[in-house]
Amino acid sequence: MNPIAVVFKKEMLEILRDRRTLIAIGLAVIATPAVLFIISQVATKTATQAYTVGYAGDVPTGLDILFDATGLKLEKVDAPAEAAKQQVDIGLVFTASGVDEYYDPSRQTAQLADVRFQTVLSRYDAAKVAAALQQKGVDPSILNPLPVSVHPLSSPTQAASNSFLSFFLPYILITMSFTGGLSAALDASAGERERKTLESLLLTPVPRSQVLVGKILAVSTISLAAALAAIASMLIALSRIQFGGGTFSAQLSPVATIVMVWAAILLASFRQGQAYATPLYFITIFPASIVLFIPDFNPNIAYYLIPIFNAVLLLRDAIAHNAVGWEQLAVTSVSLILTGTLSFYAALKLFTREALLVRS
Amino acid sequence: MTESPHEVGGFAETSRGPLSKPAVKVDRLEKTLGSNHVLRGISFEARSGEIFGLLGPNGAGKTTTLRVICTLLTPDAGSVEVLGYGTRVSPQEVRRRVGVVTAEIGIYPRLTARENISYFAELSGLMDGEVHRRVDAVIDRLDMSSFAQQRAESLSSGQKQKVAIARAIVHDPPVLMFDEPTSNLDVLASREIREFMLESKGRGKSVIFSTHVLHDAERLCDRVTIIHQGRVVASGATAEVRGGFKDLEDSFLSLVGAAG
Repeated sequence: MNPIAVVFKKEMLEILRDRRTLIAIGLAVIATPAVLFIISQVATKTATQAYTVGYAGDVPTGLDILFDATGLKLEKVDAPAEAAKQQVDIGLVFTASGVDEYYDPSRQTAQLADVRFQTVLSRYDAAKVAAALQQKGVDPSILNPLPVSVHPLSSPTQAASNSFLSFFLPYILITMSFTGGLSAALDASAGERERKTLESLLLTPVPRSQVLVGKILAVSTISLAAALAAIASMLIALSRIQFGGGTFSAQLSPVATIVMVWAAILLASFRQGQAYATPLYFITIFPASIVLFIPDFNPNIAYYLIPIFNAVLLLRDAIAHNAVGWEQLAVTSVSLILTGTLSFYAALKLFTREALLVRS
Repeated sequence: MTESPHEVGGFAETSRGPLSKPAVKVDRLEKTLGSNHVLRGISFEARSGEIFGLLGPNGAGKTTTLRVICTLLTPDAGSVEVLGYGTRVSPQEVRRRVGVVTAEIGIYPRLTARENISYFAELSGLMDGEVHRRVDAVIDRLDMSSFAQQRAESLSSGQKQKVAIARAIVHDPPVLMFDEPTSNLDVLASREIREFMLESKGRGKSVIFSTHVLHDAERLCDRVTIIHQGRVVASGATAEVRGGFKDLEDSFLSLVGAAG
């Protein structure tokens, strides 16, 4: 059997018998659905949650119906300002001249209740004004002198979904590509020295580059398997989970899925340069997190030269716009392949250093 | 299984012809590791069909010498030949002809004893059919059948050492090097190692035994070289090196003391 195949077979056998690697892959499979499920639950809860309005005085006729329809529950209290500190979400005092509102902006529920209350009030005001105009024989459409008809070029709910996924999924994928094979990568490199097997391995007549290639193939296979498992579970989770109480479902386009798999393949080849890839991951992923939150961030082609960060950008393009530019795809691929090749040579150099044996 | 006329227990008998041509020839070896000048012109020859002792205190340069012989380290100066193959020119040919057993029993814990041995048999270039035959032979020879299918992590130290020996000899190398092989073993396991070295010598192998346990060396070695601070301080037949002293230890202390 070819020495590369011999090393690959042995490494795979060891990896598959290693609980740590299997746990890491298992985590990769369940992590995404778990995070998506939690997000969907939070979104659903936020959308359907009722907030309590403590009030004093007389609620104007009709307003109580609007309160009820928007999930604001009225509760009569003696001192609305005091109650708004903790007992209720907002406090209202209805007087002959208007309404006094009390709420604590440091409480998130108070903020959300306030937003709903403002919406209710504006609807109530509009209805009241329209009714008054109608009573005086004036067409209420006078209030809307320039009616606007909106024609969205893409589905607004899908756009919201894509925007959400484009921030979330690239990190999940890249993290899974790195952590899925982490244990196996450490085991195949530093592990040889720790177990005192390195000397015996290097004593075989097989060229060291072939030993290394066999190891890299095994570790890359596991990294890729972890990433593909994460993608598969992510796609299944996205098809099953409803967000915002069913207001939108997040879907991944075929383009985004293909780009994701391609990125996973390229990133998996990084595992060979374990010593270099991990710092690179941390150096690029945090700035990427910040940059991607800049509104309308439109990177020029040079950004796609930065390894790992370019994978984040490419995935963001694929998910948010359902398309990637050929130029961006080419630059990202070349950058990642080049980095993978450099990682290989760096790993080979490390693997053949005499100091490695002398230290052991 | 039919053995060829030159094979015993699946292992080839190495020619024990005239001793004129050494199996291992080390000539004026120099090696510096970091700022430490470890080897300062080491020379010796080890022959087929003998146990050759490489003796010296800890830090004398024994392990470095063995690592240069088996091509793990490159010499700064001097040369090493194994059965006519130079370590600089033909390192892979040298590795095919050498088996090394060290005190540190490094085996893969999640593989069985058999899988550990098979892995190294395959890497040493044996053909697929031959691998099974040789692995079976070495398991039988070292009496490992009872634990061959067990994972290495569950084996005792003695059993692990047997796996390490099996791994080193599965490709039937004509040169065997033992670097302090008994230092982590109990009395019984140490005795088995010594018996194995004698048996290998009987099969015509060139056995290089590196140790600081001079009692073992005196019992086993046909010829010895004593090194101290990277230099050879004595070399020759064991009895010659012992000279007029009571044992090799007294001779060694005298030589090392004289060498400073």
